[in-house]
Amino acid sequence: MTAVVTDKNDDRVPTRIEAGIKVKGAARFAAEIPIQGVMHAALVQAPLASARIRHIDASKARAQPGVVSVITHEAMPRLNQGAFLALLREPRVHFAGQPVAVVVAETATHARRAVALINVDYEALPAITSVTQGSSEAFAPKVAGRTSTDSRRGEPEGAMAAAEVTIEKRYTTPTHNHLALEPQCVIAVWDRDGAGVTVHTGSQAVFAHRKAIADGFGLSVGRVRVVSKYLGGGFGSKGSAWLPCLMLGIAAARHVGRPVKLELTRAQMFTLVGRRQETIQTLKLGAMRDGRLVAMTHDTVAQTSSFADYADPVATPTRVLYACPNVATSHRLVRVNAPQPNPMRAPGEGPGSFALESALDELAHVLKMDPLALRLRNYAERDQHVDLPWSSNGLRDCCRVGAQSFGWARRPIAIGTMRDGHHVLGWGMAAACYPVYRMASEAVVRIEANGTVRVRCGTQDMGSGTYTVLAQLAAEALGVPVDGIDVELGDTALPEGPYSGGSMATASFTPAVEAAAGRVRQRLIDLVIEDGESPLHGLSADQLVLSDGYIRAGTGNAAERLADVVARRAPDGIEAFADAAPDAAPRYSSYGYGAIFAEVRVDVDLGEVRVVRLTAAYAAGRILNRRLARSQFIGGIVGGIGMALHETTIMDERLGRIVNDNLADYLIPVHADMPAFDIHMIDEDDPHLAGGIKGIGMLGTVGTAAAIANAVFHATGRRIRDLPIRLEHCL
Amino acid sequence: MNPFVYRRAIDPRGAIDMAARPDACFIAGGTDFMQLWKAGISAPNLLIDISRLPLTAVERHDGGLRIGALARMSDVADHPEVRNSYPVLAQALLASASPQIRNVATIGGNLLQRTRCLYFRSGSLPCNKREPGSGCGARDGENRLHAIFGASAQCAATHASDLAVALVALGARVLLASQNGERALLLEDFFRLPEAQPEQDTVIAPGELIASIDVPAAGTWRSYYLKVRDRASFEFAVVSAAVVLDLADDRIRTARIAAGGVGTRPWRLRGCEAALIDAAPNAATFERAARLAGEGAQPLRHNGFKMALLERTVLRALQAVRGDL
Amino acid sequence: MTDHGDDQVMVTLRVNGCDHEVVADVCATLLDVLRDGLSLTGTKKGCDMGACGACTVLIDGRRIKSCLALAVMQDDKDILTIEGLASGEEPHALQRAFVEHDALQCGYCTPGQIMSAVGLMQEGRATSGASIREFMSGNLCRCGAHPHIVAAIAQVAGIVP
Repeated sequence: MTAVVTDKNDDRVPTRIEAGIKVKGAARFAAEIPIQGVMHAALVQAPLASARIRHIDASKARAQPGVVSVITHEAMPRLNQGAFLALLREPRVHFAGQPVAVVVAETATHARRAVALINVDYEALPAITSVTQGSSEAFAPKVAGRTSTDSRRGEPEGAMAAAEVTIEKRYTTPTHNHLALEPQCVIAVWDRDGAGVTVHTGSQAVFAHRKAIADGFGLSVGRVRVVSKYLGGGFGSKGSAWLPCLMLGIAAARHVGRPVKLELTRAQMFTLVGRRQETIQTLKLGAMRDGRLVAMTHDTVAQTSSFADYADPVATPTRVLYACPNVATSHRLVRVNAPQPNPMRAPGEGPGSFALESALDELAHVLKMDPLALRLRNYAERDQHVDLPWSSNGLRDCCRVGAQSFGWARRPIAIGTMRDGHHVLGWGMAAACYPVYRMASEAVVRIEANGTVRVRCGTQDMGSGTYTVLAQLAAEALGVPVDGIDVELGDTALPEGPYSGGSMATASFTPAVEAAAGRVRQRLIDLVIEDGESPLHGLSADQLVLSDGYIRAGTGNAAERLADVVARRAPDGIEAFADAAPDAAPRYSSYGYGAIFAEVRVDVDLGEVRVVRLTAAYAAGRILNRRLARSQFIGGIVGGIGMALHETTIMDERLGRIVNDNLADYLIPVHADMPAFDIHMIDEDDPHLAGGIKGIGMLGTVGTAAAIANAVFHATGRRIRDLPIRLEHCL
Repeated sequence: MNPFVYRRAIDPRGAIDMAARPDACFIAGGTDFMQLWKAGISAPNLLIDISRLPLTAVERHDGGLRIGALARMSDVADHPEVRNSYPVLAQALLASASPQIRNVATIGGNLLQRTRCLYFRSGSLPCNKREPGSGCGARDGENRLHAIFGASAQCAATHASDLAVALVALGARVLLASQNGERALLLEDFFRLPEAQPEQDTVIAPGELIASIDVPAAGTWRSYYLKVRDRASFEFAVVSAAVVLDLADDRIRTARIAAGGVGTRPWRLRGCEAALIDAAPNAATFERAARLAGEGAQPLRHNGFKMALLERTVLRALQAVRGDL
Repeated sequence: MTDHGDDQVMVTLRVNGCDHEVVADVCATLLDVLRDGLSLTGTKKGCDMGACGACTVLIDGRRIKSCLALAVMQDDKDILTIEGLASGEEPHALQRAFVEHDALQCGYCTPGQIMSAVGLMQEGRATSGASIREFMSGNLCRCGAHPHIVAAIAQVAGIVP
């Protein structure tokens, strides 16, 4: 059963509840929390990719007025080692940009000026500055994201040899940076006795950060409070990637015995808070003339740092999206003296789908087959990777709805036939999938004697709409308007909520919030039924409905305001707690799906590529708020446009330095790059997922780059396998 | 981020007098200066605010146009005379930077903006322009956006201004004022080749102030500015071309072409011009001329594509001038 | 503007119709003085290099990037920030439209987008979808709210994007 929800916003769908504050500039982000007597920290960064620190001379800086302290590895308080790089722990430089000292001063200006006065004497050491350079030392990481490093089913080699058609191609994706508009910031305020700390920061995971801070400083979690009310974007860069600098800021505050604020500069966001790793992917497809896939291999070599392992799950789409009996995939890492990679929006699935969906397009071209038909020909009836049935799989619906809206049936199979003056148009498509992840969550729902409903859940809203959907869930259960609901999140003083990442927050907290709200609702019903003063006294629960702030009999006019019930029978309010956790051993495999169709316009002489329109259809479980979901999908797609045409972090391999660490030279798409968007959401009722939520934040980024690259091929006959697609590729 | 003393000039004479010391710097719009100062590339001890000097007028002069050095980019782009008689100028201005920058940045400041070379702007990578003798990071490094014309062993950084390319094509002159009086020179000669002193972008002397830009009479000129770039807006040119043609009776009487994104200064394409002058303005002429655009180019490892791209950009701009598009 | 010694100056800034006397570092940007000196944190710092537009404010009715403006150069000028856009409790039409069109996600670029849109409309550039997109390109957004931002501006400008 599917219902297609079209592009248009429905006026009845709630608007973002915190939007009114944000458009007034009144939402206070971490850096804007007023703290009396706060000191300012600034970082001294190493200019070399690999080095040993011989000596740090900070005497001039220390002598400056306004400078409170200069902390180096010699004076850095020892933190318990966690699963992240502890900065200033040793006189060793692993990558250019690594902090080697932190200045604390009365003002940010004093701190920055003092940084320039610190002399560090380095002994340069040999460095590996590119994946290619280090590829002979590639190794297998323990995991790729949350998945296995390697996979194998059937006999890929034999089946490949027997295939009627084979494709073997190499695809590369460059380093990307998350680059949320809000730079990372921490304000750390230690208790007077130094036994506890309050941390204001933009965090995608306040509870995970609390645990890391408590472990690092040897505190019980009860003595650490992390607060993150508004988050100016994250995309993966405000989770564990932020820990090294976050801890540094907190340590600096403890060291000087004053509140300290450490705010990163834009340039620092290119080295200190993670990156999407560069990948080199080799994809082999074996198929029969009718398009049936008989063998696939997908081998990825990617960058990691010299001190920690991280591998994106690049092969996920290859493992699960299509039916194929013989599949082998692998992930290998190369140590590079470069910043530590970490998840960035659609980690793995984004770059991996670029390779897979490009290769399928290449295969379709060889087979003279419609690219969409090729996908549908290989629809997977179950998840062959883990050998489980789908909880639901809406890929066919996505393909049908998207293709129809785009007009895909009119696509000429020949290359470069849609001329328009100096331009040529091209149409390309790709399919997408993203796994359903979830984690444990708690929530409290409460109704006050004045009728105010509160939802409390220690998750975060990084722009994804969490405030709003938390309110909606309670509003729906209790029959009250969304506007009046008070939502509290982003604070470890609240019940523990999930990360904002991996598209898992909403899927994780929804069952908990619904259960808590259900309990409040049940209690309200019980109260009126047993209360002789209530006009609803003696009715049975199934005769009652809650709507518009009233509890009423399903038939007749008997009704009572919720506020009156609470005031009379539970003057301290009614509160319920609930928690929810994912199944330990799932019996179904769950993914969200999408199909994306791109039209590009290429200037045949000048090579400029612009995306004209994008149609996408998604089947991603229950959609709580279509207005906000549309924004999320478009956001993901815009990330995909950047991946296709603009974004690349450039390392000068001789120097081991990133050279475009600013927003003028690291290009992200601007308004003028935006196509017309045509977004469709296919409502899915997935009976095997508690709450029915699949998560939508990542899906838009999956497949988009391939759809655009495939459209460029359709326009020009140029197959661009190395992102980003630049005008010189199309000359 | 070095501290500076701030003084506001009341009149041009006062500004020039204050600037008669080597560690002084003028600020007007400040959009480039502030970036350079924050990166530690520019560190004056004395900052002289000239933003309130009466040098903002755009007016007819000698049949042409005199543009005050302190006129804002957006005001010049919107000026009716500019829009009607010098479309190349309006187009170049509107293709520059962002609306917020154009509302503040001045014409004089635009001409004096420094290169966007990644190595120069970083503040700490090797760069002879920023720190003479530190080496050129770009020559053997990331040089996709660097010059194919006019580079020296010391520097291959392009000049970043779109406006300058258009003004060079128009044959504009720049008026400089100093304690020694005024001098005027062709804008084309105002910009230096890097040669052995890449740190000096122009021939402006310390303490000298750009007073105005004089653009010759447009007559029956037709003009066009075409900027090619990786994203659709808010980016410096990968390649650009400014074309000024005087077409009469099926002959090209005057042809002036300058290119951006390819030279260490706005680059006149004299070979193309020669192939156009006195020829018939038809497709064959344009194609023949455009093929000469890459003559003499010396590409680096990552920017060889600019030769073909430049030819095509020039061709497209020529077609646009004739109204073929 | 008067010298205050130790690189400090007293500058009078007219922000949202009110005069503020601020003692600031002579080298301080308008952005830093608004945020740190006047606690007007609605104006955002995204890059501090003029490349993102989050710090957009209006000066004498024109949109500018406040991270590239020295505070000492702004006396006698009318500075309008996001905090001064509404008329009392009544939001500006653009603020309402941004909410209705969900023209924001994280909200960090939003004040800059709105102030830029105010400038855009005053410049007479909100004439078509393409024109809005081109003349809003100085304001970056990483969440991907672009089409909804354009739709919100178009609605207020009374055009079909």
